[in-house]
Amino acid sequence: MTSPAIYRRVVRRETHSSRSGIAIALAVLLIVVFAWFGVESVLAALGQPALLVSPKDAVVAALGAVSGPVGLLTAGGAVVAVIGLVLIVVSLAPGRKGRRGSVSERTASVVDDRVIAQSVAQTGAYAGDIDPDQVKVTVGKRTVDVDVTPTSGRAADVRSIEEAVNDELKSYDYSPSLRSRVRVSEKGTLS
Amino acid sequence: MTNTNRFLNRALVFVIGLVLLLAGGAVAVGALLPDVQKPVSQGADDATGPTSDALSGGQPWILWVVAAAALVLIVLLLWFIFRQGHGRTNTLLTVDSGEGRDKTTGGSLSVDAKVAEQVLEESLTRDPGIISVDVTAFEVKKQSVLRVTVQTRRGVSPVDIGATVDKAVAEWDALLGTQTPIVVQIVGGLRAQMSGTARVV
Repeated sequence: MTSPAIYRRVVRRETHSSRSGIAIALAVLLIVVFAWFGVESVLAALGQPALLVSPKDAVVAALGAVSGPVGLLTAGGAVVAVIGLVLIVVSLAPGRKGRRGSVSERTASVVDDRVIAQSVAQTGAYAGDIDPDQVKVTVGKRTVDVDVTPTSGRAADVRSIEEAVNDELKSYDYSPSLRSRVRVSEKGTLS
Repeated sequence: MTNTNRFLNRALVFVIGLVLLLAGGAVAVGALLPDVQKPVSQGADDATGPTSDALSGGQPWILWVVAAAALVLIVLLLWFIFRQGHGRTNTLLTVDSGEGRDKTTGGSLSVDAKVAEQVLEESLTRDPGIISVDVTAFEVKKQSVLRVTVQTRRGVSPVDIGATVDKAVAEWDALLGTQTPIVVQIVGGLRAQMSGTARVV
């Protein structure tokens, strides 16, 4: 009883952001604004003094602002437009979470990029016979950058590091798949 | 794993962004063009008198309508916030009584997700590369799915962890007598950073 459709859905959901954080933040902001509108309206309708600004004063001020200084209006409008543009980009971008998934016959799995980076660093350090702290690994969307800082006075064995890292990456079946790039820094370190 | 409607989240962000972009753009561009700016500011000046009369007691129904609309929108937004993150379930499997091989002969059977949690945690934490295990059941498309979150020690190969988990899952399947979908999450986390490497040098 395997269920590829469910696995595809779950892997997609676990590797991409739900955008619930920003959506909830915006909803809370809107609730605060609407609550204020409502309270001010009721207070004004009952003839009570306003909390901050009465609706009448607010509308008059807004209408007056239309004929305000051009520079101020343009700057304010531009800032608001840029915030809007950022929100549109956020809503359309895929929102990858720095994880990758694979679906096997029995289970689906999702792996943190950080776990992959640490594993590759360990493999490289072991193959090159250096300390794991001398290997810095960065996992991008499709590439693994391995930066090796050799021990001073000893040549780093780049070939075997490269081979070990590639073997390790070949054993993964996570998508998107990864390619390696091994670089040796020119400065050495004391160990 | 939750059943949050992600399209709605993105739709809300998109609509607010579009409103801000259009409003901000209209203000910025309109203020720069004298042909637009003059009639609009003239119109705003003319409208100031009547609107302030209406809002300061002439037409109280406007204020009540605004208040009611605000209340409706607040309720909608609260529903929007509280619908997030549902989908956990406590029951992993129910077998109803009836005829056939995959039915019970008398009474119905339900297996709690806690059973899977304890069995899988017990067998997985034996692996020295695994720091902790968390098992939660979710309901995805009317089916219970187990999510096994494995926190690994630093530098452990995710493939090795995957093999360990597969073995534990096979044992669990044999114990349960049937298969439910299982999703494995392999994460590092803060404790992995602090815990040092698994290999003894």
